[in-house]
Amino acid sequence: MTRTNHQDNSAKNVGIVTGAASGIGAAIATELRSRGWLIAGFDLSPATSDFDVIVDMSDMASVLAGVAKVVDALGPINAVVSAAGYYEMFPIASIYKEQWDRMLAVHLGGAFNLAQAVIPEMIVRREGSFIGITSELAMGGGGEDVHYASAKGAIIGFIRSLAVELAPHRVRVNGVAPGPTDTPLLTADSPWRAPQYLATLPSRSLAKPEDIALVVAHLIEEATFTTGEIISPNSGAVI
Amino acid sequence: MATANYENKVVLVTGAAQGMGKVIAETFAARGATVVVNDRTDSVALRELAGTIGGHTAVADVSNRDEVIKMFKEIEGSVGSVDVLISNHAYMSMGAFVGYDHEDWWKVVNTNLSGTFWLIQSALDGMRKKKAGRIVVICSGWGVIGWPEATAYSASKAGLISLVKTLGRELGPENIVVNGIAPGVVDTPQLQVDADAAKVSLAQIHSLYAEDIPLGRIGLPIEIAHTAALLADFRIRSLVGQIVQVNGAEIRGRV
Repeated sequence: MTRTNHQDNSAKNVGIVTGAASGIGAAIATELRSRGWLIAGFDLSPATSDFDVIVDMSDMASVLAGVAKVVDALGPINAVVSAAGYYEMFPIASIYKEQWDRMLAVHLGGAFNLAQAVIPEMIVRREGSFIGITSELAMGGGGEDVHYASAKGAIIGFIRSLAVELAPHRVRVNGVAPGPTDTPLLTADSPWRAPQYLATLPSRSLAKPEDIALVVAHLIEEATFTTGEIISPNSGAVI
Repeated sequence: MATANYENKVVLVTGAAQGMGKVIAETFAARGATVVVNDRTDSVALRELAGTIGGHTAVADVSNRDEVIKMFKEIEGSVGSVDVLISNHAYMSMGAFVGYDHEDWWKVVNTNLSGTFWLIQSALDGMRKKKAGRIVVICSGWGVIGWPEATAYSASKAGLISLVKTLGRELGPENIVVNGIAPGVVDTPQLQVDADAAKVSLAQIHSLYAEDIPLGRIGLPIEIAHTAALLADFRIRSLVGQIVQVNGAEIRGRV
């Protein structure tokens, strides 16, 4: 798990993927590792990355400590992917303050905390890539999705603004807005798995975590003129 | 990182004699595809490109429906049906709206919009037989936001964006996936047209455009080609009907 020979890996790119223990985050970590990246996986439970760190993304101190550990062990960070998140549906009247606050703290706060921890050093090196995972629901909206869509929508404004701010420093900032994706976040009885819903999608199927991972890897490795953009592998849910 | 994920795929790139099309053709060839390069006229440049990438040429004026149909028959006869269509060709001229030449208006619309329409119609037979296909349409940031003195071009590109969205919906269920790219300013021979219209040198138009781009430079054709290769990836079905804007964070290029 933890790297034992620093020399062997010194030429590799280093990345952090949050939410790396499962679903989209895990697929992104796997794809980047298959392309030769050294990936540190942040999650509340151990992932299967090159360097797992238990981090609560809503807690700035936890994120700063995690990033410091990664830099110490693996070296400067070339790319980060903010994928940590969770999903729940509630009608507006049933969203209590604690739920609203937690949703914003994990998603928007997680992206903000991660950016603050890694961006200053990227600016110094004039190189880096930040990817935020947002959602199709941030663009199209969805019933009983008010707190989730609000948090994910804020990430889009965050990405677009940070992209403009960091472009002169050659640091790129982009987002991926998946539609419903076949991950553990969608319970077996989720309405997004219902055949009647899938029949309404132009692709007739859920997105696969591997789809999102390929888009992320493209944005990090190849898309050197793409910044401030949101790419939407959403099965055609929002076109 | 180039991966050979287009082995055994026939990729047709239109407008491939120069600029973005040429680099897109090279990119797909590097990823293992059999590439057919189209342009309006036969040329040394087109043949040299085909030779370099181990591909084939297919000459046709895509604004002419009969020529497009004939081209697809010839391609199918020589290398097999087209798996991936990259509709990259474009014609542009600039001029004030009042007094804009009406023949030029139709040339722009017929080439950019109708040409892509005929290409996709012709590509569908083969894609339907294989129950799979990928189509990427090169649109334009000006098709998203409009641009002064580029009415015909911007309107034709906006038409293409709507074509992509509509066909994304219509063909997605058949695993024929249509997406588009809206590039910002990219370093191609087309920039000379803008420079001439603005009565400045090519170098001046480069820096004029770069001033408006937060990333501080104009884009490179390879940066569009990589995105085309992502959108045509047969492993991904969920990316459909989308327009990806590749523009160096040019915020006034967004809506």
